[in-house]
Amino acid sequence: MVLIYFAGIDLGSTMTKVVIVDEDDQTKASVVYHTGAEHRRLANRVMEESLAKANLSIDDISFVMATGYGRINVPFADRQITELSCHARGVASFFPHVRLAIDIGGQDAKGLKTRDGKLLDFVMSDKCAAGTGRFLEVISAALGLKIEDLGDISLRSTQKVSVSSTCTVFAQQEVVNHLSEGVPLEDVIAGLHDAIAGRSARMVNRLKVEPDVVFTGGVAKNVGVVKALEENLGCPVLVPEEPLLSGAIGAALLGKEHVLKALARGETIQTGKRRLEEATFFK
Amino acid sequence: MAEPSKGLLRAQEIYQDRSQRALELREQGKKIMGYLCIYPVLEMMTALDIVPYRIFGDMREPITRADAYMPSVNCPFLRSCLDLGLKEKYDFLDGIVTSHICDVGSSLSGIWNYTVRTPFSHHIDTPHTLHETSLKQERGLLEDYRKALEDFTGHKMTTENLKKAIRVHNEQRALVRELYELKKPDPPLISGVETIRVIKAIQSIPVDEGNELLRDVISEVKERGDGPQTKSARLLLWGSILDDTALPEMIEGLDANVVMDDTCVGSRPYFNDVEVTGDVIDGLARHYLMDIKCPRTFRTRDYNDVRKDYMKDLEVRFSYLSDYARDWKTNGVILESVRYCDTHGYDVPGLRDYLDNLGIPSIYLEHDYTEGALAPLRTRVQGFLEIIS
Repeated sequence: MVLIYFAGIDLGSTMTKVVIVDEDDQTKASVVYHTGAEHRRLANRVMEESLAKANLSIDDISFVMATGYGRINVPFADRQITELSCHARGVASFFPHVRLAIDIGGQDAKGLKTRDGKLLDFVMSDKCAAGTGRFLEVISAALGLKIEDLGDISLRSTQKVSVSSTCTVFAQQEVVNHLSEGVPLEDVIAGLHDAIAGRSARMVNRLKVEPDVVFTGGVAKNVGVVKALEENLGCPVLVPEEPLLSGAIGAALLGKEHVLKALARGETIQTGKRRLEEATFFK
Repeated sequence: MAEPSKGLLRAQEIYQDRSQRALELREQGKKIMGYLCIYPVLEMMTALDIVPYRIFGDMREPITRADAYMPSVNCPFLRSCLDLGLKEKYDFLDGIVTSHICDVGSSLSGIWNYTVRTPFSHHIDTPHTLHETSLKQERGLLEDYRKALEDFTGHKMTTENLKKAIRVHNEQRALVRELYELKKPDPPLISGVETIRVIKAIQSIPVDEGNELLRDVISEVKERGDGPQTKSARLLLWGSILDDTALPEMIEGLDANVVMDDTCVGSRPYFNDVEVTGDVIDGLARHYLMDIKCPRTFRTRDYNDVRKDYMKDLEVRFSYLSDYARDWKTNGVILESVRYCDTHGYDVPGLRDYLDNLGIPSIYLEHDYTEGALAPLRTRVQGFLEIIS
């Protein structure tokens, strides 16, 4: 068997990501899509697009590893593994000395204690999406701002306000109150970022913060939250060039390592059905 | 007429339709006594030919009526119990016995009396500490309880009948322990899901019928060839009430077998016998106050000696769990608690410290006592399994 390409698909609650890597761990293609309500029908389309980008067919892929909360809805995956292990592996490919990874995605926040790409321990936020990307989406929509502008606006702040709640509903009320009192917008947004960062910092403190600390997930694209996280943790925070892809890259790399280990043991690789089609079992 | 089912199938039938047997027995003139938690003394019910019937909630039934009487920040299991009572699901009970399991549980007994109005009720204000005075108090409370049951039935509880009842309940404890022995091999001969079904079934039928069911299950499980498969993880499950198979089903649907537990619909009520003492009440008081290891009781017997040594204190409180982990060869512990259960929640940090110190990996899951809310926990359990495997 010739080992050439490995795919990782990360079906997150908000974004779906596919990465294809080659045998030298080099990324050949990556695609990011909004997951949306029809996420079970999306996996195949995102995979097809990433294969087209890499100029490959599904038969060229030696192993497909699925991760993320929708990982069981990927009909062409050979194996599923949690996003916890995948993020730990993925961030180590960008920053080999990472000890703590913080991932704030669309619906939850995770803290991962890791060494050499292996997951040692983790904490996760509760089922409520307080203090996650969803929180920023709702607040930015309420303020009539683009979510991608929040970070830059907050950097203009000279006196951030205190936002006591990360509950989306209560925080929205607090924001309205602050604005009605004449507090500048940038100070309010900086306060919101501080509330998110503080919540995640308190959560990961249970894992004992140790550098390198790496920040991933969609919220890591917000420079205001990165700055607030550094202030709350009291140490520098590293952010990969594309913070959304660490789970998918980790999945692809874990797939490759799974294959290599199996081959070293003289085992045949068990791969699933390679049907690039919608998941239908839920109908 | 078809042969009545036996063994695991029978346990599953009772698990799915718990009240069926109780209703039959009530038709035959038996008294059915509901009880909450594992602290009401069942031997005294059996001694007067009363059928003990444990009150459970239903995590598959939304709580709609109980919110009028209990705030939503109270234990959802206890709210669910009241909800079922208000929906007349426990109307066949002749009485209810409660105990001071926790403040919410104690409040529930009063609320139940005002709202559900089961004909007979008795509350045992079980102490929470293990001093000699607590034992004396428990003893007195059991005397009151004995008298209340005698007044309820109109019959005297003879010492001979009480001793007989203790023996038959001890036989049940021994049979449960024998069942748990079958979880020691790898793969275990009986799954965690099946175990919960069996334990919930024996807490829903008379003790002698429960013993017969246990004997059938034990011989069936020993013989069958289609039991659980070997998996990477052998887990110990500790925590608050688990009266539904949903959580162990999720866990055992992954690469793990639940081979041991310390929960009250599991091993907790059965791992110590009641000693038949000269004065029978002494043995019962000692067992129910001291021998059952539930976080609702502060295990302070040796506290004066160890109060300045945290690890020794943890050893006194939790060493039985390290015995379980060793004897059942577990490689991880899942600590679970229903949300707002302070009783179990307060034990979690110390217990995790204790397990960490022994090098036993653990994870803590808090859930809302609803089946749907268990799904997000799947990633945590799977992540934990990926770490320990």
